[in-house]
Amino acid sequence: MFDLPVTTKSERRAAAKFRLWLLDQGWEMSQFSVYLRWCASKEQAERWLREISRNLPGTGKVHVLMVTDRQFEQMTVFRGRSRAGKRPKPEQLTLF
Amino acid sequence: MPPGSPLGRVVEIAEEGRHLLKERGFLVVEAGGEELGRVPLDDIAALVATARGTSLTTSLIAALAERGTPVVLCGANFAPVALVFPLAGHHAQQRRMEAQLAATRPLAKRLWAQVVAAKLRAQAAALASAGLPSAALARLARSVRSGDPENAEAQGARRYWPLMMGEGFRRDPSLPGANALLNYGYAVLRAGVARAICAAGLHPSLGIFHRHPHNPLPLADDLMEPFRPLVDLEVRALVAEGASEVDRVAKRRLAALLLADVPTAFGTSPFATALMRCAASLAESYLSGVPALEFPMLSAEGGNVIAEPDFPVGLSGHVDVRDVRSSGDDEV
Repeated sequence: MFDLPVTTKSERRAAAKFRLWLLDQGWEMSQFSVYLRWCASKEQAERWLREISRNLPGTGKVHVLMVTDRQFEQMTVFRGRSRAGKRPKPEQLTLF
Repeated sequence: MPPGSPLGRVVEIAEEGRHLLKERGFLVVEAGGEELGRVPLDDIAALVATARGTSLTTSLIAALAERGTPVVLCGANFAPVALVFPLAGHHAQQRRMEAQLAATRPLAKRLWAQVVAAKLRAQAAALASAGLPSAALARLARSVRSGDPENAEAQGARRYWPLMMGEGFRRDPSLPGANALLNYGYAVLRAGVARAICAAGLHPSLGIFHRHPHNPLPLADDLMEPFRPLVDLEVRALVAEGASEVDRVAKRRLAALLLADVPTAFGTSPFATALMRCAASLAESYLSGVPALEFPMLSAEGGNVIAEPDFPVGLSGHVDVRDVRSSGDDEV
């Protein structure tokens, strides 16, 4: 989750750069300023934390929250007034 | 290198008319202009297209190539017909490929003996874990000499297949049923091995011993030999459960092998990582001129793999079936 200042041109540029960096690394947008990524292990999550700290935009606040698969699955999501489907963790084989 | 890789997810395009493209760090799958889903590029171990009429963008292929991720195109019966492979995969690639090219014939023959011995040991361990007689193959594994002049590999196959898959079984990639299941499992395995070879800075067209003129990836086929019994064991289990075709359940089970946790000489790691280590040990063998291939060893119970630490020149040969973890097919 991040809250980045966008008042000056350079701040906007830094914020956009950070956001696109996240997308390039496979972080998915959940909502505006909320991005998520599934990790295979806690170690991997910690490596992401270091990676993020190396690519911070320079101003503003960034929160990194780690939740377990179980906590993530238990999340209730409302879309409009209806309840959206739950999202399970990704499987080994993704079939399309 | 982002911390995302390699998660070892296999993405298969199994239904017709899918369009695949790259968007930022994602593979996006579309059908009829609608997005069906997206997968982070760094998480993909292999992209396998089994369906007809799949379209892919070149920028997607380029992005996967940059990550050393193979794109496998399959023909009928899930047999892979083409593989899009990156040109550069490792920072020391040139030096390694030169060493690979310059490998002497004696070195190649000793490496081949290690591959054959490891394959026979893996076959023996697979038979043992299925409760079948394995002593003959274990004995054969000990007798492999440099370059395998007695063709122990073929002798082993003649004993192995009737035991593993039943008397009437014939390994023929064009047949349906168990053969098609094997094709599918091997395709996934081949993709994993191909990726590991490329990541180790080696060239997949230069086989260890055999130089197959009509095969674009002889090295992948050489190196995957000792891992095949892992697929065989899973196919045997699937057939025993009544599976006769390559359906969703069977695919999921076979693809899961790549991410199964396996105990190695360096501790437990995903199978895909063990493959990387195996390819790296081949590169090291070429550079040093000393054959020291590192194959995790197949063990009892549903596809465990155990690395035998530094066995000397392919002939140490005791079969070590330690049961470190009991289940290979639990959810990872």
